[in-house]
Amino acid sequence: MLQIRDLHAYYGPIEALKGIDITVKEGKITCLIGSNGAGKTTLLKSISGMIKRTGSIVVKGDGEIIDKNSRYIANHRIIHVPEGRHIFPGLSVKNNLEVGTINWHGFFGRQSYANELEEVYSLFPRLKERENQLGWSLSGGEQQMLAIGRAMMAKPKILMLDEPSMGLAPIVISELFEKIVQINQQGMTILLVEQNARLALQVSDFTYIIDSGKGILSGPSSDLKNDSRVIEAYLGKAVQKCD
Amino acid sequence: MNINTIVSLAVNGISMGMIYALMAMGLILLIRAIGVMNFAQGDLLMFGAFITCWLTVDLKLPLWAMIPLSIVCFVVVGIIFMFTAYWPLRNASYPAATVISTMGAAMALKEIATLIWGSLPRSMPPLMKNPATGKVAVLKIGSITIQWQFILTIIVGSVFIYLVFVLFDKLYAGRMMQAAAQDKYAAELLGIPTILTTMATYVIVVALASTGGYMIAPIFMVSNTLGTLQLRAFAGVVIGGFGNIKGAILGSLLIGVVEAFSTIQFSQYKDAVVFLVLIVFLLVRPQGLFGEKIADKA
Repeated sequence: MLQIRDLHAYYGPIEALKGIDITVKEGKITCLIGSNGAGKTTLLKSISGMIKRTGSIVVKGDGEIIDKNSRYIANHRIIHVPEGRHIFPGLSVKNNLEVGTINWHGFFGRQSYANELEEVYSLFPRLKERENQLGWSLSGGEQQMLAIGRAMMAKPKILMLDEPSMGLAPIVISELFEKIVQINQQGMTILLVEQNARLALQVSDFTYIIDSGKGILSGPSSDLKNDSRVIEAYLGKAVQKCD
Repeated sequence: MNINTIVSLAVNGISMGMIYALMAMGLILLIRAIGVMNFAQGDLLMFGAFITCWLTVDLKLPLWAMIPLSIVCFVVVGIIFMFTAYWPLRNASYPAATVISTMGAAMALKEIATLIWGSLPRSMPPLMKNPATGKVAVLKIGSITIQWQFILTIIVGSVFIYLVFVLFDKLYAGRMMQAAAQDKYAAELLGIPTILTTMATYVIVVALASTGGYMIAPIFMVSNTLGTLQLRAFAGVVIGGFGNIKGAILGSLLIGVVEAFSTIQFSQYKDAVVFLVLIVFLLVRPQGLFGEKIADKA
């Protein structure tokens, strides 16, 4: 679905990604873990065209997108849910969701998005209850649901989630990840960036570990879960005992 | 002071307030969309007055040709304004650069107007004339006389305010503009062409101010000092609660009415009275009429 080869990305003169290779398989959850500053968010920004990058990103059906801008990429249904949710604070929940349709609806389109809205509401009934509330007034978990729901309105073929668990209570996180798995089971290809390595390895099919802008380890999540290097560096020994 | 004076001053004040409101709305739209306080707003009004005066007086165009042509001019001015005063500086490391450049734009607009149309004040015929006498048309209700120009200004101002509200509250495109204004990064990730929404904002802002200029032209002389009216709009914005459109409209109307009534006692001090109101508001209610909602709307 998505093939990334030798990807370099730059913040001004600083090289944040130093040649990364990643393959995202269709219909699977591919996960990206790594410590702070490893380049996870940068990688998603490079795919969505928000940062200067070189190398090769090939999307099934669309070809090379390395030289395309963010609008082209969003219009081709590769949707990035940014870290920190970035919902529109002064728009109601319903209007926030409507904004998500811009990439296939267009400014002056007349198509109806009632079906998409219905789907998102059935996935996140809480959003339906809060339909007319302004974005800023939602709780953190609801805001994350709204951010994901808004991305779903864009009818993505690849959904990229950046740190969906950030700043949420454990019970909210597990509820949210159930939904992410549910979205994936409906056939969505997901690229998930997570700091919560244990959770990420549980839900994903394939995992890449990156550090300092380079890929250091990759494999099926079920294998990595039991890999001694991963346990030591990302899961912690104490955690393993608890399990 | 009899009822006659009160009514005509009130109508006068509200119609001036409408013009300030058109400018004030533009100020807030720009603050929300790109975070820039536009110090050229008054000079955009002045420029609009000159453009419409040129089309009506010099080219002698009838109204049906003048309106579409002036809209074209407003769009062009809006886009040029954006690509000269804002676009090159949007990523400047010094964030006030875009604000300061609007002050430069204000001077440039004044000088351009002087270069094209000369430095002498010009007069614009009233929009509604009495067909029999050729003088300013007035509405007479009993002993009360009101100039039609003021009534027309109130109508046009209300229509524009209504249209802006329809755009942002009811239309899909307006929602996209709001979204782009509130979070540019998220808007771009979803595929909103933020350059287009910014351009649309600039065009709307210029059209609002210029229409104000057109409405005010027959009341004042058209000259390059019209730009000073910007301070009234600014006072309206502050009184309304910085960042709130409804508040800014009410604040501007209040300024207009206070200004009109202050001419009874001290005509030459009406500017001072306007700012006295502003200072009182800053002392008593610094968050403005609708201030508590600023943080919410962000």
